[in-house]
Amino acid sequence: MIERDEFRRMAQVALNASKADHTIVSLRDRTGGTTRFANNQIVQNVNTRRYSVTVSVAFGARRGSSSTTDLADGSIAGAVERAERIARVSPPDPEYLPPLGEQQYTWRSTFNAATAKAGPQRLIAEAAEAIKLCKSAGLQGAGIVSAYVSAAGVAADTGLFAYEQRSRAEFSLTATGADSSGWVKNADRSIDELQVIERSRVAIHKARRSAAPKEVPAGRYTVILEPAAVAGLLGPIQWTLGAKGYYRGTSALSGKLGERVVDERLTLQNRPDEPHLLGASFNGSGLPSNDRVWLENGVLKELSYDRYTAKQHGVAPSYGLDAPHLSAPEPARDTAELIQGTERGILVTNFWYIRSVSPMDLTLTGMTRDGTFLVENGEITNGLINFRWHESPLRAFNQVEAYTVPQDAITMERTKMLLPAMRIRDFNFSSVTRF
Amino acid sequence: MEPISRRQFVQYGAAGAAAAYLGGCASAPPPATPGAVPVDEWDALAEIALKRIRKSGAQYGDFRMLNTWRQSVRGQDRRISGVRDSFGGGYGVRVLYGGAWGFAASCDMRPAEVRRVTVLAIEIAKGSSVLTNDPVRLAPEPVHEDHVVTPYRIDPFTVPLEQKTELLLQAMEIMQKVEGIKRSRGSVWVQRDHKLFASTEGSRIRFDLLASNGRIGATAVDGRKFASRTFLTPYLRTGYELVEDARLLDEAPRVAREAVEKVKAPQVRAGAYDLVLDPAHLALTIHETCGHATELDRALGYEANYAGTSFLTTDKLGRFRYGSKHVNLVADNTEPGTLAATGYDDDGVLGQRWDIVREGRFVGYSTNREVAPKIGLKRSGGSNRADSWSSIPIVRISNIGLQPGQGTLDDMIGDVEKGIYIEGRGSFSIDQKRYNFQFGGDAFWLIEKGKRKHMLRDVIYHGITPEFWGSCDAVADAAHRRRFGFITCGKGQPGQSGWMTHAASPARYRGIEVMRGGAKS
Repeated sequence: MIERDEFRRMAQVALNASKADHTIVSLRDRTGGTTRFANNQIVQNVNTRRYSVTVSVAFGARRGSSSTTDLADGSIAGAVERAERIARVSPPDPEYLPPLGEQQYTWRSTFNAATAKAGPQRLIAEAAEAIKLCKSAGLQGAGIVSAYVSAAGVAADTGLFAYEQRSRAEFSLTATGADSSGWVKNADRSIDELQVIERSRVAIHKARRSAAPKEVPAGRYTVILEPAAVAGLLGPIQWTLGAKGYYRGTSALSGKLGERVVDERLTLQNRPDEPHLLGASFNGSGLPSNDRVWLENGVLKELSYDRYTAKQHGVAPSYGLDAPHLSAPEPARDTAELIQGTERGILVTNFWYIRSVSPMDLTLTGMTRDGTFLVENGEITNGLINFRWHESPLRAFNQVEAYTVPQDAITMERTKMLLPAMRIRDFNFSSVTRF
Repeated sequence: MEPISRRQFVQYGAAGAAAAYLGGCASAPPPATPGAVPVDEWDALAEIALKRIRKSGAQYGDFRMLNTWRQSVRGQDRRISGVRDSFGGGYGVRVLYGGAWGFAASCDMRPAEVRRVTVLAIEIAKGSSVLTNDPVRLAPEPVHEDHVVTPYRIDPFTVPLEQKTELLLQAMEIMQKVEGIKRSRGSVWVQRDHKLFASTEGSRIRFDLLASNGRIGATAVDGRKFASRTFLTPYLRTGYELVEDARLLDEAPRVAREAVEKVKAPQVRAGAYDLVLDPAHLALTIHETCGHATELDRALGYEANYAGTSFLTTDKLGRFRYGSKHVNLVADNTEPGTLAATGYDDDGVLGQRWDIVREGRFVGYSTNREVAPKIGLKRSGGSNRADSWSSIPIVRISNIGLQPGQGTLDDMIGDVEKGIYIEGRGSFSIDQKRYNFQFGGDAFWLIEKGKRKHMLRDVIYHGITPEFWGSCDAVADAAHRRRFGFITCGKGQPGQSGWMTHAASPARYRGIEVMRGGAKS
C-alpha cells in the first residue's frame, strides 16, 4: 500500500504544480482478494490492486476535479492541469467552500495485520470449511470469503492532512436445499473474527429448518426481524436525513426536527469507536468522524449537513453515519427470547431488493429471503414461502413491541451496523411469491 | 443460437461502414488517449503475461488491458454541482488451470508487476482447482484478430466543457421558472474505453469504444407533497450527438409542467387495470423479469449468495410458456450503438443475435464460454463482460429487446376501457428468482374508454413474471421502437456494474393488479 510519507510526497507534487486558489488531493489505494464459491466448489477467485489520486482545485468559486490511476509525478501534475482547465471554464459554484484547514483527528484502530497477511490460500481454506459443512449437511453452499486492506488520504493547501490504513474481511454463505435456503453474513476488520464455522452452521440450520415451506396469505402480521432485516429498514432512513432536502420540503422528515419520529425507546448514534463496527477516522473531505446522536429516544436530533447548508444554518457540517448503532433500554437477551414471547408471527432472516416506493412517507418495498419462518405459541413451527412487503420504516419503527441488545447486522447492500432484533406488530406483507 | 458471420460484424464495427449506419455522417477513429503506457506498447505487456501462462501448463489464459476516460457534468438547483474527469487504467490476467479460474489485476503497468500479477493469477487458479468438482471446460471459439471502433459523429471529449455546463444551466433555469418547481437537476456523462484483449488461443482484439448520456429532471412541491419528473436519453455507444439530438432545452418546459401536474394529480385507486407501457419503462421490466431470469450462471446457482438464481431452470429451456404468443424477446449483441454490442465480449466471443423467448416460449439464455457447455451448447452467446480491468468477466444480460408487433400506440390505448399509460422508470423490486415483481414509473396517465385522460400519482403494479407476460396482448409496430439501457446493473461479488440495452415498442398488458404506492393523501 501507499504509505503515509509517500502520500504526503505525492500530495506535495500536486500542491506544488497547482496554480489554483485552493487544491485538495485525495488518495484511494485498495488491495486484496475474494474467493467465491457456489454449488460447493470455487467458481471465482480474484486478487486486485487498485489505486487512484483525485485532485480538486478552485479559482474563486470555479472548481474542477480530475483523477488518475497513474501515480507518476508527471501524471499527477497532469491531473492538476486537467482539473485547472475544467475549473477555469466552469461557472462559479455559489455553494463552493474552500478546503477544511488543519484538523484534529482521533485515530482509531482501523487496520488489522491478520487481514493484511491473508492471501489467496487463507481465503481458500476458509471457503473450504464452509463448503465441507454444506456438503456434509446435503446442501449446496454459495458464498464468499474476502480480505482487503486500503489506504485513504486527503491533503490540501490549507494544511489539511489525513491518512489512514483500513482493513475489512467478509464472509457470507447461502446454504440451499431442495426448497429452502439459509443465509449469514459477517464483516470485521480482522479475518480472524469471521467465525466461518459457527456462522456456516447458522445458515445450514436455517436451510434445514425452512425445508418444505408452507404458504400463508399476505396481510398484516407481527414480525420478528433479525438484525440484518432491521438494517434493511433502518438504512433508508438515512436517505431522508439530508438537510438540503429537509429544508426544501423533499424529505419524508421535513419539518420534524425535534419531534418524535420513531418509537420513544429507540436511540441511533454514530459510534466510530465501536470496535465491532467499521467506522473510519475521517471522510472524503477530511472531516473528522464523530460520536453523534441522530435519533434520541425516538426524537430526530440531527440532520446531515453538507458544508454549505451547515454554514447557511449556522451549524457544524455532518460527518455522517458510517458506524450506526441503534439501541433501546431494557432489551431482551436474544432473538430466541423474542420468539418465545410471540403468540403468532413471522420470523424474517433478511430482506432483499429494498427500494423506495414513495419518498414522501418513505414507503419501501422488498422481499423476504433465505430463512422466513412461522412462529406459533413461542416456537418456530414451519418455514414459509417468501413475501413481498410494502411498509415505511417510519411506521414500522413506531410499532415496536420488543427488541434485543444490539447485534452484528450486515446486509447484502449496506455497511455493518449494530442493531437489535425487533418484534414489530402489523407489518404489511403485500403479496406472496412462489418459493 | 444464430451466430452471425464475422464479415457481417465487421460491417457493423468498422468505422467506414458505421458511417453509413449513421446516415452518412463522418466517422474517424477516436484520438489516442493518454495513459501510463502508450497503446502501442500494450502488446508487449500482453506477451509477458501470455508467455508465463503458456509456460505454466494452464489450459487457457487471457490478458485484458483497459484505459477508461470518463467525464461527468452534474447540475443541481440552478448550479453546476460537479465536473469530474477521471482516468483509470490497468489490466487483468485470467488463468484457467486444472478446471478452475484464477484472476489477478493491477494498475501498476511496469513489466515486473505484470509478471507478479500473472504468477499470482496462476497460483490462485492452482489453489482453486483443489476445490473443484465440476471442472471448467470452455466452449470453443474461433481465433479473432480485429479492431472495434464505436461509430460516432461528435467526439464527446472535444465538445467544450462550457457548452455542457451552459446546456445544463439553461435547462435548470427553464424548469425552475415554472411555478411549483422547487428543485432541478441535470447531467451529461461520457466515457471512452481503449481496450486490448489477448488470449493464449491467439485472439487479439482492440477496442476503441464510446458511450454517452444526458438527462434533466425537476421536482415540484405542493404543501407537504412532492413529485419528480425526468427526461433522459438512453445510454448508448455513440458520440455527443446523442445529447444534442435529444434537445434537452426543448424538453425542459414539458418536464417541469408534468412534474407540477404530477404532484397535484389524484392518487391511483387500487384495482385491476390494463397497462400500456412505453419503451423507457419497458426497458426496466424486460431487464428485471427476463434479462436476469435468463442469465445461465444464475440458473446454474453461481449467484445464489447475492444476485440470486432463476425460476427459469435449465429443465424449462424450450418447454416453458413464459408469455403470450405476442411476446418475442431477442438477444442482439450486434446492433450498432447498443451497450452490449462491443463486437466481442470479454471471452473474445463474437457478438451474436438469438432468441430468448419465441412466441411466448422460453428458448434461450445469456451465456459465456464457461457455462454454455454445461447445458450442451456448442458455442457461447458472447455475454461475458467485466465492468473494469480490475474485475473478472461474468455472465451479463445481453441486449434483450421486445420485438415489434403491429399497430400504433393510439390503437393500443383506443382498445382500453380502464387502464394506465406508464412512462419512464420509478421504483422497482423483484425477488431473487425473478418471479414476484413490483414496479412504479416516472409518469402515469389514466386511460378511460380508449382515451388518455389526466395524470395519476403513486401508481405501483405488481405480479408474477410468467403471468404478467402471459397477459401481453399487443406490441406496437417497429416505428414505435426505442432503445433504453443501463450502466448500473449490479451483480457479482465483488459487485460489478453491467451495461446493456433493451429496445421495445410500447406494449399492452391486460388486468394487472395496481396499488397505491404511498400513504393516502
